[in-house]
Amino acid sequence: MMRPPDSTRTGAGSRWTLSTASEIADAVREGKASAEEVTRAFLAHADRTSDRLGTWLHRMPEEALRAARAVDLKRTGGARLGALAGVPIAIKDNIAIRGIPTTCGSKILEGYRPPYDAHVIERLREADAIVVGKTNCDEFAMGSSTENSAYHPTRNPWDPSRVPGGSSGGSAAAVAAREAPLALGSDTGGSVRQPAAFCGVYGLKPTYGAVSRYGLVAFASSLDQIGPFARTARDTALAYNAIAGPDARDMTSRAEAKPVDLAALDRGLQGLTFGVPRELLEGDGLAPEIRSCFDATAEAFRAHGARLVDVSLPNAKYSIATYYLIAPAEASSNLARYDGVRFGLRAPAKDLREMYEKTRRQGFGREVRRRILLGTYALSAGYYDAYYLRAQKVRTLIRADFMKALGAADALLLPVTPTTAFGIGEKVEDPLAMYLNDIFSIPASLAGVPALSFPAGFGPTGLPIGLQLVGRPFAEETLLRAARAHEGWNDASKKAPPIATEAAA
Amino acid sequence: MPIDAGTVEKIAALARLELDPAERERLVRELQAILSYVEQLQAVDVTGIEPTSQVTEGDPPPLRADVAGPCDVRDEVLAQAPDRDGDYFRVPKVV
Amino acid sequence: MSAAKPGAAAAPALDEAVQARYEAVIGLEVHAQLKTQSKIFCPCSTRFGAPPNTQVCPVCLGLPGVLPVLNKRAVEFAVMTGLAVGASIRERSVFARKNYFYPDLPKGYQISQYDRPLCEGGEVEILVEGKPRRIGLVRIHLEEDAGKSLHPEGKEGVTTTRVDLNRACVPLIEIVSQPDLRSGAEAVHYLTKLRQILVYLDVCDGNMEEGSLRCDANVSVRKRGDRELGTKTEIKNVNSFRFVEKAIQFEIHRQIGLVESGGRVSQETLLWDSARNVAEPMRSKEEAHDYRYFPEPDLLPLDLGRPWIESLRAALPELPDALRGRLVREHSIPEYDAEVLTETRALASYYEEVAARSDQPKLASNWIMTEVNAVRNKTGQPIEEFPIRADRLGAMIRMIAGGAISGKIAKQLFELMLADPAAPDELVRRHGLAPIEDGEALRALAREVVAANPGPAAEFRAGKEKTFAFLVGQAMKQSRGRAHPEKLQDALRSVLVEDR
Ligand SMILES: [Mg+2]
Ligand SMILES: [Zn+2]
Repeated sequence: MMRPPDSTRTGAGSRWTLSTASEIADAVREGKASAEEVTRAFLAHADRTSDRLGTWLHRMPEEALRAARAVDLKRTGGARLGALAGVPIAIKDNIAIRGIPTTCGSKILEGYRPPYDAHVIERLREADAIVVGKTNCDEFAMGSSTENSAYHPTRNPWDPSRVPGGSSGGSAAAVAAREAPLALGSDTGGSVRQPAAFCGVYGLKPTYGAVSRYGLVAFASSLDQIGPFARTARDTALAYNAIAGPDARDMTSRAEAKPVDLAALDRGLQGLTFGVPRELLEGDGLAPEIRSCFDATAEAFRAHGARLVDVSLPNAKYSIATYYLIAPAEASSNLARYDGVRFGLRAPAKDLREMYEKTRRQGFGREVRRRILLGTYALSAGYYDAYYLRAQKVRTLIRADFMKALGAADALLLPVTPTTAFGIGEKVEDPLAMYLNDIFSIPASLAGVPALSFPAGFGPTGLPIGLQLVGRPFAEETLLRAARAHEGWNDASKKAPPIATEAAA
Repeated sequence: MPIDAGTVEKIAALARLELDPAERERLVRELQAILSYVEQLQAVDVTGIEPTSQVTEGDPPPLRADVAGPCDVRDEVLAQAPDRDGDYFRVPKVV
Repeated sequence: MSAAKPGAAAAPALDEAVQARYEAVIGLEVHAQLKTQSKIFCPCSTRFGAPPNTQVCPVCLGLPGVLPVLNKRAVEFAVMTGLAVGASIRERSVFARKNYFYPDLPKGYQISQYDRPLCEGGEVEILVEGKPRRIGLVRIHLEEDAGKSLHPEGKEGVTTTRVDLNRACVPLIEIVSQPDLRSGAEAVHYLTKLRQILVYLDVCDGNMEEGSLRCDANVSVRKRGDRELGTKTEIKNVNSFRFVEKAIQFEIHRQIGLVESGGRVSQETLLWDSARNVAEPMRSKEEAHDYRYFPEPDLLPLDLGRPWIESLRAALPELPDALRGRLVREHSIPEYDAEVLTETRALASYYEEVAARSDQPKLASNWIMTEVNAVRNKTGQPIEEFPIRADRLGAMIRMIAGGAISGKIAKQLFELMLADPAAPDELVRRHGLAPIEDGEALRALAREVVAANPGPAAEFRAGKEKTFAFLVGQAMKQSRGRAHPEKLQDALRSVLVEDR
């Protein structure tokens, strides 16, 4: 499928769409490729594939080509290009880009165009990346399947009858289908890691505070983090480096977030200890193919020089209950600004009260309304102590479990999801069942520690399986280093779904 | 704690969400299922445990110096307001 | 009194004996706008009176995705206020979200402080009929203001409200007093004193007309001697010193009247209507308030650290009470004078300079409290803009003390100085205001008067001592007050005797 590097035929696009971000950035920086031709290649490929997948909510071909030409001009003008020179990147639709529709997959924000750029967008531009569009997601990032988008579902590139996961399903699908080599998503309880696992790509949830949330539309402020999707550990690191670091506009961002040393990624597993949280694995519901993939991976880690130890996260079993009080509570407050006064949807009404109630009833989807009500309840007088406050205390216990376990191990190894991608429509009617799938991703979110989903294998029907590495605060480098080592002996990340390698018609 | 239609009604009013009777009944069931599930937290011993409302470690960015900056988004924002009256946002009268 | 209209229950006129059986219990919640250049969570300007929605940005508009960044100066101003009233400053305070919907509240919540406010305790001393009273404070916390809703008042057929968000996110401190006040007059004293402290600290401009200082009052009544508090009502919108006393007295009378007639006070929020001088219940809310406070996850707890607090304490300016004490001590003026002269720090500085230049502290005080303040009351001028600067007033008072002019002449001179910036001695020269002390000149004057009043002169000579005063008065008038009183009398007597 790979065409010769010097090909000048119209189909040359696929050469770039199959390249990694690192390869593209090197080629563009060295003048071996123009940002424009790379961008055109991805745009053309996505023209062919994206309608079938429902990856995007808004594509930006003109803006992307303009940005690409600007990067090319910058290079020919003699300037040094950034680390993501000419690399197309897809942005989840809950991240603000000035003048570009930002709907969060919600009707309530239909047509809304922010008058400012998110911090990560500024950083990507500084790195000379090319933003190519806004990807589909569950409404306000609430969901695990991207079926809660008010616009359309997104399909899993490996099997269009299945979900890509969520809430950042569009971003994961875009990278898996090679519509972009990189994407940004947001992870509140697993919204980067779970779709990464379902789509067979890397997905990093950075340490809470590592990436500025300025411009990320808030779902649950104490949990939300922006994270990258990529197809290699190194690309994940490149994207992370481009967006991480403190920002004066986000008081929860941290200078402790240092760029990953790319050279350090090749150091292998020697000297690293990985903790296996046994009791989490023993719970029912873990699919046998995931369990066997996990066991095989753990064994391979040991075989490649790592030490494995059992660790205990005794309170992790309370994670879902804790999360489904804290996240909706914060969300109920964060989503109060969608009131029809200043932007977005407003329903016609005879008075103010009715305007609020009708606007919010019509503008928010079912899952969002459900969580707003749950969160309002958890915070309301008489219930606060029993629900919200208690959940915050249990969160303290869960976080302490992680700190203890991460004292004994450099990182933890665990699954991302109990199963591979489920069918579209399979779980929409049972919200609790949907929530219970987040048992492996939520604990790290509550603890605020970094977690990486990496492609580790495939199930019997060919669906990707992802596993998860969870690290100490600001130790993203350790996670990426382990994943990079894993890439050395495992080719799960190198396989592409058929739609990704379709030749031009 | 059991949740009933009246409570759902009350929180929907607090959250400014219109509810029709069918949805209210459905929500009672769904919220009841979730609340029964989270009931497990009542079993956790949290005596003497401090609540966690944020998880950041390290030093926050410095507080902002008191310097006024440009405010130039009015036109861009008002242009997409659902309703305006000149340079004001306009809403139905507060009853 | 005519039958009260429903809702607009006018306060009944109360028998003083009835009133005396009750005691009012009043607490004030004061919102003071901090004098920062920029808003509390974003860099927009806080300037008053800008065209609508020109001082707004994504943050204060509450657009999706924005985050608050705390203004350091606002924190310092709040801490300074706490220190000034002797509150204890929390080294770690916590911002919380107060959730409610209103069109001028862009985020659907107000960032405020709840169970861990910046300052707790403290007190403000007021003088009630010359006696000091300490009014306790519950707390002082930082929060953001809301925008402004312009309701169509009285306009028939208008069914919309307009919203200007310039004020949204402007820094406020909320100062909550203990229910230590007992009358509308005390509330005014308290508010005046609080305002004075804020203005001394230069953390608030104290301008009630522009909303820099806003006041809500919690009022209840109980029978004298009762320990238990009565049901309280909250009166909102008492936003001028004039209304504070009126509104509170109105409410006290209403509540006493209610209890006296066998009724019960219901806990409610009233809105003061300054046009009609009545407090009316706000349209009843469809639900009880449930603000669902929770710690603001976008702002971490505010850790001040002892050194920062101490450096702010060290930098505190001299406050009204201390300054008053010092004026009494250093200038030996009465407590009352010091109270008047410390109304503002600028007035006190003015006084101190006048006192120093004239070396007449009490005379300086008298002149400022009477003549200077009389003019200022008429013109509304702050002392900073008063046309007679302290050096000139000091020089003038020195002239009085040195006998260079009489007190009476000084009043004329003062009038001249208001309009003419020249030095006082120059004005005395120019307008011939110097006293006539020369014996010959005074005798000439006496002769003139005696000649012009032959009748009275004759009566005096005939032994009617009383007419002498009349002749002195005539002579003084003739000299336009410049004649030296004793020397004039001497001159007059000698002329009357000589010319017998
Ligand atoms: Mg307040
Ligand atoms: Zn602003």
